[in-house]
Amino acid sequence: MGEYARMNFFCDERRCIKCDGCSVACAEAHELPDYISRRKVITMHEGIENMEYSLSIACMHCTDAPCQQVCPVDCFYIREDGIVLHDKDKCIGCAYCLYACPFGAPQFPLDGAFGTKGVMDKCTMCAGGPEETNSHAERELYGQNRISEGKVPVCAAMCSTKALLVGDSASISDIYRERVLSAGHGVTKQPYGWDVAYGNKK
Amino acid sequence: MKTRYLSLMLLLSTFLFGAKADSSIWGTNLLTHILEYDKEGSLHMGHWFTVIQSTYVKPVLLFVLTVIPLAFIVHYALVGPKRFSHKGKSIMMFPLFKRINHGVAAISFMIIIPTGIIMIFGSTFGGGTFVRLCKDAHAIAAPLFFLSVIPMLITWFSRMLFNLKDDIRWLKIAGGYLSKEKKPVPAGMFNMGQKIYFWIVTLGGLVMIATSVVLYFVDLEIIAPVLEYYSISQIDMLRISALTHNIIGIVIISMFMVHIYMSVFAIEGAYKSMINGKMHEEEVKILHSSYYKELQEKGEI
Amino acid sequence: MANTWGYGAMTNSLGDIQNAKAIIIFGANPAVNHPVGFQHFLKAKERNNAPIIVIDPVFTKTAAKADHYVRIRPGTDIAFMYGMLHIIFKNGWEDKEFIKNRVYAMDDIKAEAEKWTPEKTADVTGVPVAKIIQVTKLYANASVGTLIWAMGLTQHSIGTSNTRLAPILQLALGNMGKEGGGTNILRGHDNVQGATDMGCLSDTLPGYYGLSEGSWKYFASSWGVDFDWLQGRFKSAEWMGKKGFTLARWWAGALNGKDGNDKIHNAGTALKNLFVMGNGITSIAQQAKVKEGLDNLDMLVLCDPFVNEAAILTDKQDDVFILPTATQFETSGTVVATNRSVQWRNQVVEPLYESKPDHWIMFELAKRLGFYDQYTQGLKIKENKKEYKWPEDATDEIARIIKTIGLTGWTAKRVKRHSENWHMFDQVTGRGYGKMKGEYYGLPWPCWTETHSGSPVLYNTSRSVAEGGMGFRNRFGLEHDGIDLLAAEGSAPKNSSVEGGYPEINKDNIEKVLGITLTADEKAKIGKNWKVDKSNIIVEKCMEKGIAPYGNAKARAKVWTFPDQIPMHREPLHSQRADLAKEFPTFEDKENHFRVDTKYISKQTEQEWVKDFPINLVTGRLVNMNGAGMENRASKYLAALTPEMFCDINPDLAGRHGIRDGAMMWIHSPEGTKIKVKAKYSHSVSDDRIFIPFHFAGYFQGEDRTGNFPAGTKPYASGESANTVTNYGYDIITQIPETKGGLCRIEHAEEEA
Repeated sequence: MGEYARMNFFCDERRCIKCDGCSVACAEAHELPDYISRRKVITMHEGIENMEYSLSIACMHCTDAPCQQVCPVDCFYIREDGIVLHDKDKCIGCAYCLYACPFGAPQFPLDGAFGTKGVMDKCTMCAGGPEETNSHAERELYGQNRISEGKVPVCAAMCSTKALLVGDSASISDIYRERVLSAGHGVTKQPYGWDVAYGNKK
Repeated sequence: MKTRYLSLMLLLSTFLFGAKADSSIWGTNLLTHILEYDKEGSLHMGHWFTVIQSTYVKPVLLFVLTVIPLAFIVHYALVGPKRFSHKGKSIMMFPLFKRINHGVAAISFMIIIPTGIIMIFGSTFGGGTFVRLCKDAHAIAAPLFFLSVIPMLITWFSRMLFNLKDDIRWLKIAGGYLSKEKKPVPAGMFNMGQKIYFWIVTLGGLVMIATSVVLYFVDLEIIAPVLEYYSISQIDMLRISALTHNIIGIVIISMFMVHIYMSVFAIEGAYKSMINGKMHEEEVKILHSSYYKELQEKGEI
Repeated sequence: MANTWGYGAMTNSLGDIQNAKAIIIFGANPAVNHPVGFQHFLKAKERNNAPIIVIDPVFTKTAAKADHYVRIRPGTDIAFMYGMLHIIFKNGWEDKEFIKNRVYAMDDIKAEAEKWTPEKTADVTGVPVAKIIQVTKLYANASVGTLIWAMGLTQHSIGTSNTRLAPILQLALGNMGKEGGGTNILRGHDNVQGATDMGCLSDTLPGYYGLSEGSWKYFASSWGVDFDWLQGRFKSAEWMGKKGFTLARWWAGALNGKDGNDKIHNAGTALKNLFVMGNGITSIAQQAKVKEGLDNLDMLVLCDPFVNEAAILTDKQDDVFILPTATQFETSGTVVATNRSVQWRNQVVEPLYESKPDHWIMFELAKRLGFYDQYTQGLKIKENKKEYKWPEDATDEIARIIKTIGLTGWTAKRVKRHSENWHMFDQVTGRGYGKMKGEYYGLPWPCWTETHSGSPVLYNTSRSVAEGGMGFRNRFGLEHDGIDLLAAEGSAPKNSSVEGGYPEINKDNIEKVLGITLTADEKAKIGKNWKVDKSNIIVEKCMEKGIAPYGNAKARAKVWTFPDQIPMHREPLHSQRADLAKEFPTFEDKENHFRVDTKYISKQTEQEWVKDFPINLVTGRLVNMNGAGMENRASKYLAALTPEMFCDINPDLAGRHGIRDGAMMWIHSPEGTKIKVKAKYSHSVSDDRIFIPFHFAGYFQGEDRTGNFPAGTKPYASGESANTVTNYGYDIITQIPETKGGLCRIEHAEEEA
């Protein structure tokens, strides 16, 4: 992992209540058009006793980001703190990143040629893009840059039950472990999506 | 009949552009596709797409783009082009409709193939506006190809059916291209090489069209019931389509290069027959010996 | 609640739920309605391994986080609670000491609970026997358990009985007055507690003072106005003491009994003008009647930051006024949270466009009606000023006058100090530290004096009165049927000069109870009793002696003035079980119930409703909306989450009616009304009931009325109002509509060509 701690999202599904505070806060903060959902809360096994749970999902900023691997124009770049960002000026809207992504994070506005896929948009962990930090251009293209201001991404800040955690993996693990241990259960394993997006890389 | 056909095709193509697919792939249903993502028993298409796309597509295409021309150079140097007498009688091989048809297909290929290659090597071209324009041109030329491939398939269908006796023999001597001798080559109106190329370009081309429609509209509603029947998620369909599109694309590119080499270099002036529709008697006699016999039997020569 | 132990409010706080060892959530959905507050439930589960038991007709998002989910038939909460009590008494799990010392008439409850065997309970509630026993054992054996409820308990014709039996369950287990225990009623909206505290009710004055002449006189003198002048404003002296119409049934007033509608008792006249502040009109039951009522008004005034959809609903063309009001961000003042604590809210921006703050509208109205001076007189009294300062002087006026719930300590200065130093308080206990030491956050009422700490946990005798301790309120006399109603010896709050129970303190008994002698000067100053003592001397003296001014009595399980002295199960007016409706019939019809004759038994027996309307109709909230939803549907991103009105329907039930997922369906009510909504397959509802959210408006019985919106005010989402099909039925005491236990019939809607 190098000397820099990698920034991660983690959603504690035992706490997530599908209030959609994260997704609405995200859309509001970045003034997203209504067909772009950078973050979404999904519910599995809805209505089934002891089975239903919800998760807040967006770009997971994977270590081995598949989107970056398949991008034909290399518009992705990974910051030293592990945040996966992309350059909208380079992106051609081919949607390969969408095909590669295990989380369905890349979003495409319907404003490209003939009304289909335009330039890709996705969660930036509120860290903007390659444009000058906090410039007007950056805000227009990528939304707020809260990381540069030392703020937590808006989704995690707004999470009503603090289910959605963000930070370096060690800190998140500590919080999660404390929650789990305090209930007398064991810590199971590292949450999905931190090391590898697919399969079991050794 | 032709006008009716053309207007039908035009109508179909406008329908394709006019059909506005809803945005469920990245709207309400996008993330629910996660259920299909790499879980036990899934197709693991995300994994395969990532591996194939990131590791193989570019190198293979690069290989194709360098090795095949090299092979041509070697062939040209060692065997050299076939030259046929341009005197004497010429035989009408391709009437006007077929020539226009071929021309349209050729134009669409001249757009589709280079733009496709540029997209695959997008990073070399720096991405951005230029590659984006190529992507748009790629999409615009696709219906053009679609318009040409259908009549091509219909009009040449019977001539392109395999004739095992000739074709296997043709394959055995590799079409006679490896020798400088001008021995009659067993072939009908089209030889085995042309037939292979034809079927790859037409049937493969239809697959390319189908996958491109899936990729272009992202969540086609009309295929949803089919996907549901086979329990394939939309996202997996997209991945399958993208992979298929790229793999067949590379095959077509390599075949296309052979086609160009043959018509321009390997047989001197062969491309002219697609412009004026005529082929000289000697050329037909050597390269399409069975067709020549057929014409003789019919008494047309 | 108030009739059980004195105050009708959440006894503990959201933060305190973290201390619970077991949690029952009864007819509430905090994960949706209180998403931020719900973290305390989750923490209780995480830290204490506290089991969360959710009792609800619908598998809610809260149920998804629960350890035990009990799918109860709507309207059978009393049966379920008696079933629990039956098991508790049978196994001796009740807190005998607590009951002996602090509860009156628990024996009557025990006798009734005797009848509710697990088998009988299972039959009535639809909950399996094993589940009832499991849940009861789990809850009864937790060292302290908290009971949560909201509208799922109250919105029934027997809502009052529900909200009495729930406290009785807690009393039986001795869970009252303890951290981590209590009855925690979750208020549904911002400042609901504050609104009721301030008397936004048709049967009380501010601070829950009754409508008696004594109360009116106390207020008249406190406001600095002449009582006779005040009385002269009414039609006659008699009408001054009468309850008004309620939000639930004001329309009956406008309809005045015509066309077979319920008769009214309104001094022989119909309701002519309606002045609305807030959005309740389109979120109450029987929208078809509401529409009729609106159409029959002479004048309708709607004050709202957004267009109140009542204006869209009515066909009335003239004399409908829409006044734009300021939002919370454009005004300042106090709001009261669900746990009785107060906060100061600061103005962020000046009111935008032509919107005006509520008080501005009220003051201008008072000016034009000619009583502005009297209206604002009370604001100036405290410091004898010429001009008042809004809103600080209003807050101080409230603190000066409202003694019943102990708002004396809520001066503007103190409240602001709390809000400015909110980081100086513990998040669980609310206890302040540093410069805020000795106070609880937001001074939860009763906050008896200007130095009192506030009372975070009601009826907690383990603390002294000065630290927020108290017994149950002495509100129902000293004895009943010869039994002493005061608390037993040894059950007084800590550091009290009296060991046992004592009556509420008044001018006559203060010296005896407190064991003090008042000076002649003090005697001259003090009021008749602690509630109307403007000098506050009674309270001050009580504090010195560690005495709660309102007395220390027993909570009562029996309310002898109610139709049901102890809570009894009665089937909803529209019951899904015709046999049980005969066994547990509802009340007799009630005449002049908040001025309207209200049907009970005659409605229940009008026909066998379940034959034609076999499906239970449950309404509820969505996380992205509140109330009638106009405010939220006008927000692009919130509306996008639920862009259409829908109905959660079990796929099996839908299949039987040929309704596909995402297809349109009709829902018909016994009142002859219908709505057209989109079916949404969900396993959260069983196949005998459907769930619909009540936040939509703009469509009425299939008709699109959104064309009525003034240009540019149409919200992003519109739809049928669930309340168009909620049934007739009102609580016997409070008249809250029975929206949680109705019936309906569903039908596949033909696609429009």
